Amino acid sequence: MKILIILLQTGILSLFYLVGTIIHNLFDLVIPGSIIGLILLFLCLCLKIIPVTFIENGAGFLLSILVLFFIPATVGIMNYSSLLSFHGALFISAILLSTIFTIGAAGIAGQLFEKKAEKRKDEKEWKKPYSHSG
Amino acid sequence: MEKALFAFWMILLTVFAYSMMTRIYKRFSYSFLIPVLTATTLIVIILVLFHIPYEDYMIGGQWISSLLGPSVVALAYPLYKQRHFLINHLFPILGGVLVGAISGMVSVGLLSKLFGLNQSLILSIIPKSLTTPVAIEVTRGLGGNASLAVVGVMIAGIFGAIAAPAIFKFTRVSSPIGRGIAFGSASHAIGTVKAAEYGELTFSMSSVTMTLCAIIGSFLGPIIVWIFQI
Repeated sequence: MKILIILLQTGILSLFYLVGTIIHNLFDLVIPGSIIGLILLFLCLCLKIIPVTFIENGAGFLLSILVLFFIPATVGIMNYSSLLSFHGALFISAILLSTIFTIGAAGIAGQLFEKKAEKRKDEKEWKKPYSHSG
Repeated sequence: MEKALFAFWMILLTVFAYSMMTRIYKRFSYSFLIPVLTATTLIVIILVLFHIPYEDYMIGGQWISSLLGPSVVALAYPLYKQRHFLINHLFPILGGVLVGAISGMVSVGLLSKLFGLNQSLILSIIPKSLTTPVAIEVTRGLGGNASLAVVGVMIAGIFGAIAAPAIFKFTRVSSPIGRGIAFGSASHAIGTVKAAEYGELTFSMSSVTMTLCAIIGSFLGPIIVWIFQI
């Protein structure tokens, strides 16, 4: 029974993917069809057009084994033994350095913005009791 | 008939490698044992041993790959579940995500130009911080090579998941929001899987960030290529 529900809900998700792809092709957009499908589904959920119970089992299942769906693409690395050359080493170093930089920058920025937002919240709460005395 | 049977075997091989390596990872949980790395290595070794070319493997593999699109759509579910969380932390999330998305694409573009990589390589690594299916489509739109893009995405994902703990220590990033944004914007789904080990909040943050970065990145990619005249 659970398997049937998951299959059916995966079908609903595929339908959104299909609609997204059709919109992508129809208007020749830069955004991929899967992202358009994601935005459409998110809007449908927020506007209560589709109850969350219609997709939660299927979505939860797909996301729990997401890594599996990446593996066939990753195996494609076997066709790129040329990456074991000088240019390949540069290609890989560019990615490694950029990844270190991104993790550092995004982590610091996220933490900084979080503290700022908290401070602002604190200030708002502190100002209230003092406002009528001053 | 023979082709269908072969496809079935390739699917079975992939599922088997994935579930076995997931079990091993859960047992020992060392960073370098993440299933995408170990399962891929195992499959590549088996394919090379039996002289099976990648194109033949994909007769079965494409069936598994075809679930990537619906899985990207499925990301709307955690995003919806986290909508209150997203609205409550809108400022740090949007700020962090923008910094992450821009720094990821600009830095790799600048570095690869500095290293003198050829145009097709550069166009293939621009979307390296985005989740695989989005990166593939962004690369195609830019005129890069999809397979190379996947390699770049995987290196960024795997390396990010392994290196992030040390980088957090060095930069003194200890908040779940900061860590989640770092994982999601640099290492997409692989980083998000790793983020789950830091707890629910970091995981949510990472998955929200990954989704927002995929959306922002699909707009940003063409703009960055245009600015840097690649």
